[in-house]
Amino acid sequence: MSEEDFRARAVLAVKGNKFEDFEDGQIYEHHWGRTITDSDNTWFSTQTLSFNPLYFNVAYAKTLGHDKMVVNPLLVFNTVFGMSVEDLSEGGGLFLGVDDCEFIQPLHVGDTLTARSTVVSKRISKSNTEAGIVTWFTEGHNQDGVKVVEFRRTNFVRFRDPQQGGE
Amino acid sequence: MSLTGKHTYFEDFELGQVIRHARGKTMCENDNVGITLQVLNTADAHFDEHAMKDSFGRRLQFGGVTIAMIIGLSMQDTGENALQELGLNKIRLKTSVFHGDTLYAYTEVLSKQEVDSRSGEVTFKHWGTNQKDEIVFEGERRVLIKRKH
Repeated sequence: MSEEDFRARAVLAVKGNKFEDFEDGQIYEHHWGRTITDSDNTWFSTQTLSFNPLYFNVAYAKTLGHDKMVVNPLLVFNTVFGMSVEDLSEGGGLFLGVDDCEFIQPLHVGDTLTARSTVVSKRISKSNTEAGIVTWFTEGHNQDGVKVVEFRRTNFVRFRDPQQGGE
Repeated sequence: MSLTGKHTYFEDFELGQVIRHARGKTMCENDNVGITLQVLNTADAHFDEHAMKDSFGRRLQFGGVTIAMIIGLSMQDTGENALQELGLNKIRLKTSVFHGDTLYAYTEVLSKQEVDSRSGEVTFKHWGTNQKDEIVFEGERRVLIKRKH
């Protein structure tokens, strides 16, 4: 048995990708999936002051033709985004923006989301020597394989080798 | 009995109308750390204060929380009578947000069109500002809203 301290023997379990790891058209099937519960939806909606009773009053949701509470679309967006982070942006770099986000059909509590993304483009920013800019197209599906949300997201993504960036 | 306000129907929105939403919200750990981890966002810049000591010096708020919070701050006035959120576009995060910052929301009505006898579609432009009056967020949002009968 080694006498060496556990910290000296430990190997970092690295997470996340860097700019160099992305190629145009590459597809990532993201991890885990997430079932959205009543409490997820009610807590998220009230925590963000998202005051439409569709998201926290089941009797009201039924009057508008839903069997269950509707999941707040910002929670759908954030959960699909969240599941994409380890593959796409955990390697570091600021989140810049989102375009063409479509809420294709409502999700209801008890439904399960999964996420996948395709690399749309990557480019070097002249003003940033530490990170390049990557855009991905991310899609979220429910447990029946029906697409419920899609969007394009753009981030700074850190270089593994800072030499290659900037001017 | 009506559970929702009388002045947030499709007919109530006027082109070019700009709304300053009444309530602000000071960002706290529940908001940023809570929602970041609730939605499985694994980037520790949002929840490991110690790891941030050499960059921002503190935890950075997840942009998804800022987006949801600004739209949330506008929701009673713009989406209380929404039947469905349709989409978001041109979302830009302009300034970093940290715990302790206070966010406020503004909305402009960009366009509206009748869809059927029950509903109409409205496109809003939203802005989010902080306590220093810096713009932290801007973006567009399309919503399907009830019509009056």
